[in-house]
Amino acid sequence: MPNPLIAKLEHGARLTDEDRQLLKKLTARRRHVGPYQDIIREGDMPEDVRLIMDGFACRYQILPDGKRHIMAYLVPGDICDFHVAILGEMDHNIGTLTSCSVVEISHETIHDITTKHRNLNRAFWWGTLVDEGILREWLVSLGRRSAAQRVAHLFCELLIRLQTVGLADQNSFDMPLTQEELADTLGLSTLHVNRMMQELREKGLITTASKRLTINDVERLQDIAQFNPNFLHLGPRENKANEDSRDVQPPAA
Amino acid sequence: MAPVLTVQPIRVATSRHGDEGRLVLADGLLVAVLVLLSDQYGPEAGRWFLETGYGPVDGVTHPTFADVSEAQEWIAGRLATRR
Repeated sequence: MPNPLIAKLEHGARLTDEDRQLLKKLTARRRHVGPYQDIIREGDMPEDVRLIMDGFACRYQILPDGKRHIMAYLVPGDICDFHVAILGEMDHNIGTLTSCSVVEISHETIHDITTKHRNLNRAFWWGTLVDEGILREWLVSLGRRSAAQRVAHLFCELLIRLQTVGLADQNSFDMPLTQEELADTLGLSTLHVNRMMQELREKGLITTASKRLTINDVERLQDIAQFNPNFLHLGPRENKANEDSRDVQPPAA
Repeated sequence: MAPVLTVQPIRVATSRHGDEGRLVLADGLLVAVLVLLSDQYGPEAGRWFLETGYGPVDGVTHPTFADVSEAQEWIAGRLATRR
């Protein structure tokens, strides 16, 4: 299995071998965290940055009446806020949904990357912008997509995100999320999620077998969800002015 | 005075062939639609699901109930606290 952080960040900048070596070193020491454990809690002041290397985690909030809402999924290669040390305190929790392998990056290392490694700095910034893109798309889903579209859109998104880090093939991936977790993500009841999954299965669009989700017709599911993958920003920006271009002469004034 | 709840049978298009449902009215105003869960819902099959609520019964909570009278009690409770 490729290193998911490297696989992901390859989309954010033109990494050099030196960059890859550094990322490999950065992710060598992994800590195992069991399912349904908090990695960071609301009110914490984390100094170090956490990174998911294996498993699924999520950002969530528990409302005063006990209801939970999931605001993001963190899949392998995803970072729990690259610049978290800037914040006074965490405004939400990050917890695992499955067993996870987690890496901690010290704030000194983060400082080192942002000041000395322009390529990597750019790649991590790209990651932050992609996180925002995903959040915006989820906002659209909650505000304007039907229940069926919300479910379909999320599956289309996860397929591509997991493909990016080598954890999905052309049309299937291991999907550990329960209907309850999907409900808390999509603003639906568990029964509505059950119904939507049933509908997608009946139409032959998805198949689920022992936690593996297969999208039988990716194009059709994307059509139903009105899915446009542009928010994942996987296409490189071929604009030299935006690359690390110390060796490129600026145009004459 | 507590509103008078009445229940009317209805078919609801929550599955391809429709599901058995109930309209719940409080003093003649529609406050909830209940749907009887079919076998596709596994352990929840046979229970009544609050498909949607209006007024004081509106919200993101969608509980299930063993029978219609249990649902009525719950709805009455919501109406009493939200008046």
